[in-house]
Amino acid sequence: MKEASKRIFALTKRNLKEILREPVSLIFLLGLPLFLLVLFYYIFHNLTPQFEMQYLAPGIIAFSQAFLTLFVGLLMSMDRASAFLIRLYVTPAGSYEFIAGYMLAMLPVSLVQSVLFFITAGIIEPSFFSVNMIWGVLCSLITAMLYIGFGILFGSLCNEKAIGGIASIVISGQSVLSGMWFPLEGINKNVITVMNILPFRPSAQFIQHIVSGSDAVFDDIIKPLIIVLAYTVVITTAGILIYNVKMKRQ
Amino acid sequence: MAAIRTEKLRKEYKDTVAVDGLDLEIEEGELFSLLGVNGAGKTTTIKMLTTLTEPTSGDAFILGHSIKEDKKKIKEQIDVSMQQTAVARNLSVDENLEFYCRMRGKSKEETENIKKRTYQIFGLDKVAKKRTKQLSGGWQRKLSIALALAGEPKVLFLDEPTLGLDVIARRELWRAIESLKGKMTIVLTTHYMEEAEALSDRIGIMKDGKLLFVGDKTALFEKTKTSSVEDAFIKTVEEGV
Repeated sequence: MKEASKRIFALTKRNLKEILREPVSLIFLLGLPLFLLVLFYYIFHNLTPQFEMQYLAPGIIAFSQAFLTLFVGLLMSMDRASAFLIRLYVTPAGSYEFIAGYMLAMLPVSLVQSVLFFITAGIIEPSFFSVNMIWGVLCSLITAMLYIGFGILFGSLCNEKAIGGIASIVISGQSVLSGMWFPLEGINKNVITVMNILPFRPSAQFIQHIVSGSDAVFDDIIKPLIIVLAYTVVITTAGILIYNVKMKRQ
Repeated sequence: MAAIRTEKLRKEYKDTVAVDGLDLEIEEGELFSLLGVNGAGKTTTIKMLTTLTEPTSGDAFILGHSIKEDKKKIKEQIDVSMQQTAVARNLSVDENLEFYCRMRGKSKEETENIKKRTYQIFGLDKVAKKRTKQLSGGWQRKLSIALALAGEPKVLFLDEPTLGLDVIARRELWRAIESLKGKMTIVLTTHYMEEAEALSDRIGIMKDGKLLFVGDKTALFEKTKTSSVEDAFIKTVEEGV
């Protein structure tokens, strides 16, 4: 067990370095969402409540987390395509250690994302600073696991050429179906139902309600949390199973 | 005890037989070259011996452990360098070695000693701090093979280690491989006959998944009535001598 945890730590460190040393990943994981946070706030916050900081900052965090899917999936598929992973399969490491290495590497990235966006939001609008922000940072790690799970699934399933396209479905789904960027009044009820069933809106709502300190604990916090967790478990489990099958087929 | 012993080792893929009843023994400390044209079954044999692929039937024993039953024990004592370069691209040479030593359960002190030794054998100290993706193909391949040594394996599999390298880089790698002779058992597959001739203690020639010849160079030359490994290989494969 001790040896396994040392290997997981080594894999996590390596995966984190691989991702952070690619400038393009920093642009999409941090730069683009930060730019949108500032831009959307200054353009729209007086026009529509959708872009008030209490909604915008958590929404941007959920949006930035969708890029975790792209980068974890890309790293996994590139590793699978190269002889690097074959080399590691000859070490005593088990498949769960490889998966844990990919997942754990993305958590510090998610932590930096939420801290950076919350602090920026607080600097722009000082009234946004509150203790709930700390809860927001911690709870965003739960929603990050959903998008990392998508990455594990796609990284196990697709080659590196397909990852970009597949991950962009999640990124687009998160943007459009989270209900972040447009008011939902007047939208067809069936569409709203779909948005509530899929995990994108609940993941954004969960962080929003934690930060705003909602009193409707079950409807606003527990319900979206259950949806997010259910998707996370199913998607990650499917990813792990597929990874195991592919590993045995090497 | 033989370092490697195979017993009627066989691998089928749908309607293709990649390895057909391989019986082979390789002694500890030996450098054994496995030769064959493309599709002869060399890489599939290596994949089975390194536990990456399950055999369809038969078995093989690495240092007495079955590739079917004792995968974990085998993995602790072997390593492999496959045809393609296998390094972490965004890590420096130094970080690659450190990472791989950790994966092999080495302590910090052991890792430092391994790094020193590896730098000495492969001359990697010149590029130790450079990220791997900035290195030439030759340096990357050297690192790739150096990583296979980092775990201090008792049995090392080198699958076409000098493929695509220029003649200088190839000769440097030969010297590195030669310096390992006798310290561990090495199984080498290659398409370069002069490589097999220069490095091997014994040679095996495969065709269509079957082993046509096993023995040292003298026995090969006598059998085929030739004087070079290349001529002997061609005669064996084409005429089945």
